Amino acid sequence: MKNSHNLSRWIFSLLLAVPALAMAAAVPGEQAPAFSEVDAAGKTHTLENYAGKWLVIEWFNKDCPYVKKHYGSGNMQALQEKYTGEGIQWLTVISSAKGKQGHLDPAQALEVAKSHNLKASAPFLLDTDGNMGRAFGAKTTPHMFIINPEGQVVYAGAIDDNDSANPAVIPKSNNYVAAALDASMTGEAIQVASSRAYGCSVKY
Amino acid sequence: MLFRKNIVKAVLTLLLLWATAHVAAQESASGDHVQVRWLAPEAFAAGEPATIGFYFEVDPEWHVYWRNAGDSGAAPRFDLTAEGAEIGDILWPFPKRLPIEHLTILGYEGNVAYLMPVTPQQDAGQVVMEANLEWLVCKIDCIPGFGTLRLERPVMERSAWDAGDRDLVARFLARVPKPQADSPWQASGLAEEGEEVVLTLQGSAETPDVFPLDGALLTAAEPEVQRQDGSLVFRFQRVPGAAPAQSAGFVVSDGTQAWSLEQVPFGLAEGSTGQSLWLLVLAAFAGGVILNLMPCVFPVLSIKVFGLINSGAGHRMREALLYGAGVLATFAALGALLLALRAGGAAVGWGFQLQSAPVVLALIALFWLMALSFSGLFEFGHKLMNLAGSSRGGSFATGVLAVFVAAPCTGPFMGAALGAAAVLPAVSAMAIFLALGAGLAAPFVLLCASPPLLRRLPQPGPWMDKLRQFLAFPLYLTVIWLLWVLGRLLGEDGWLIGTLLLVALVFAIWLGRTIRRGGRIVGYLVSITALVVAFSALQFREGKSPLAESGAWQPFDPAAIEDARQQGRGVFIDYTAAWCITCQVNKKLVLDLPEIQQVFERNDVYLVRADWTDHNPEITRALAALGRNSVPVYAWYAPGASRPRLLPQILQESMITGLFEDSLRQSKEDDTP
Repeated sequence: MKNSHNLSRWIFSLLLAVPALAMAAAVPGEQAPAFSEVDAAGKTHTLENYAGKWLVIEWFNKDCPYVKKHYGSGNMQALQEKYTGEGIQWLTVISSAKGKQGHLDPAQALEVAKSHNLKASAPFLLDTDGNMGRAFGAKTTPHMFIINPEGQVVYAGAIDDNDSANPAVIPKSNNYVAAALDASMTGEAIQVASSRAYGCSVKY
Repeated sequence: MLFRKNIVKAVLTLLLLWATAHVAAQESASGDHVQVRWLAPEAFAAGEPATIGFYFEVDPEWHVYWRNAGDSGAAPRFDLTAEGAEIGDILWPFPKRLPIEHLTILGYEGNVAYLMPVTPQQDAGQVVMEANLEWLVCKIDCIPGFGTLRLERPVMERSAWDAGDRDLVARFLARVPKPQADSPWQASGLAEEGEEVVLTLQGSAETPDVFPLDGALLTAAEPEVQRQDGSLVFRFQRVPGAAPAQSAGFVVSDGTQAWSLEQVPFGLAEGSTGQSLWLLVLAAFAGGVILNLMPCVFPVLSIKVFGLINSGAGHRMREALLYGAGVLATFAALGALLLALRAGGAAVGWGFQLQSAPVVLALIALFWLMALSFSGLFEFGHKLMNLAGSSRGGSFATGVLAVFVAAPCTGPFMGAALGAAAVLPAVSAMAIFLALGAGLAAPFVLLCASPPLLRRLPQPGPWMDKLRQFLAFPLYLTVIWLLWVLGRLLGEDGWLIGTLLLVALVFAIWLGRTIRRGGRIVGYLVSITALVVAFSALQFREGKSPLAESGAWQPFDPAAIEDARQQGRGVFIDYTAAWCITCQVNKKLVLDLPEIQQVFERNDVYLVRADWTDHNPEITRALAALGRNSVPVYAWYAPGASRPRLLPQILQESMITGLFEDSLRQSKEDDTP
């Protein structure tokens, strides 16, 4: 019975693996999944490019209310500006499939980057086939990941501890990403390395 | 009617708008795909609790969320203020798992009411409530909504409800999780296995839906479910990288009702995993070895060993193996019985044989005859009973007997192993039982098989008769103890029935030796008559409850314990039974000492004696919740602590005083200026 159970589990996971061969998500304490994506300006970014650097990866969908919460208030751009100023790399990824909410072609993406005053290290990475999002196990927008210079994931989850869509709560919220980056920069341990990523589902 | 009411409502609302200048404050709110309105009575009854709520009418295929929203989304938020009433926490009807593309969310299909208890104050003329709501409504895309709802209702002598609204409240209140104590499923284990969290539930009802409360710890995806003889094993996926937790909460639902399992502690039952099975088997073996030294087993085995001194090596080995076979067969039978009962839904524990008066009476008769035989009153090993004799059946029977008399002596290491056996799959549980048996049999077999050990045994001689007579006395004491157990089970009549049987048996032996012709037959007849009369007398007596415990100790009452804990008192629970010798020793040498009682009194501890002598099902459940199915168990709930600390099975005074050392030191410091 145990054997047949394991077999069915195995077959099940195999079926799941067909659309996305790398089901393994980005898990704190483990190596980040490899990726190779082209940004809106046509430049290719891979995990190896960022070896030796701190890297923040953010999932984006311009029509998601929770993304609007953090962009409309300027909260996300402020974080991008602050930490890229400290030499930390920041990539913002769009994994919306063609025809789905939030999908942008390169020209549109450049416009949105401008209108949103994006302060990331590159214009949006366009993960239209969802490979990078699935490899990371990105569930929501905004889903946040922090990768250390050794290529290990050190944080995965929500941007902060308040899943309200109301921008008014931002000043009172505890920002997990800022806390993790600040702790890492001063050589301290990260207090919260994982949280429930709130927001809209990524539109694969 | 409805029209008129609506007009009245509209006029009232308009007046309100004017009067209070609360532009946004209305009785309903709406957003994209959602309408929200109060479910509240037209009038509250003074001082009478009511359940009111917010009714969310949601467009088809759109949904709103449960308290744990699952993999994405967000629970609605209720920011409430009330004048003239006390309001309680939001009551969340149990949700449904909804697959949204690659995710699973926990929410509601269609309309839902979020409820809350409200109690108007005695002297309040009206109740005024204002609610700032935020919600998220999703199909695939999500739209947040905001609204402010105001409610003004008079407080009258009697409450008045719109019948439709009252039915809606009742419908959703029926779906709000009920307290854990009423749940048909109880958690017996929670363990982390890599990226999985494994929850074990006990309960014979159909497989329930189980929803995790903490979305930061567990994903909302449907857990894999396995049924393992009587228990249900749910495998949840952990949120990758989630920090280790002390406990996790769940809601279980049969589809129409739900119950909450709050704060199930991790590591509740050791060994719901395969990894620690070997440790448990080892513990069981060690426990079995230690059982040999227990007062109920030792005399029987000593006699057996000395009976074998003057026999040859081959014979001895055969005897040893027969004895071992007897022990293992009995443990296997007990294990099978336990598993069969468990499959039938009954909760049983180690030592359950001694919860049955006929078994106790049979053991009394047996030990009495053995003791008399050791004293030389008659020759044991005749046709009457061949138990301690040297024939093959004798050794096998000694093994069987050893297990039965060992039952009340839960020794160290055994508690954890047997507790695990109660929730483990059948094969593992049986392995633990057999390991206990192997442990019990091992010293005897080793002694018989090892020539160096044998050489140390003294040569046979007249001293053996003296020793045999001496060893009768522990057996007499065992008889007295078993009589006491019978007394606890049946009250004073237990003593009477038991002692009359003892006299009748001695009388039968006397007859057998005195009357020359046919005396033996008369003896048999008398003893059989005595046994039949005694056992049928038991039938009349069984079912009467034992005497209540007196003194500072309170009987086991979960509600009273909960009350005491709510009041911030420490609670000490002594799970005990009359047939448990270790329990009695701890009681006499530690728990009931005046000094210890003073310590308890000084610290205002609520003392509970949970008496399991007659197999109280409530106590069985409480023990299972602690991961045990044997006594003694000593559970200490420090004031304000959510989880009990379990004390060792053999108590010392310092362990009890140690519980209060911090507070003692504190008070001493306070005394010094």
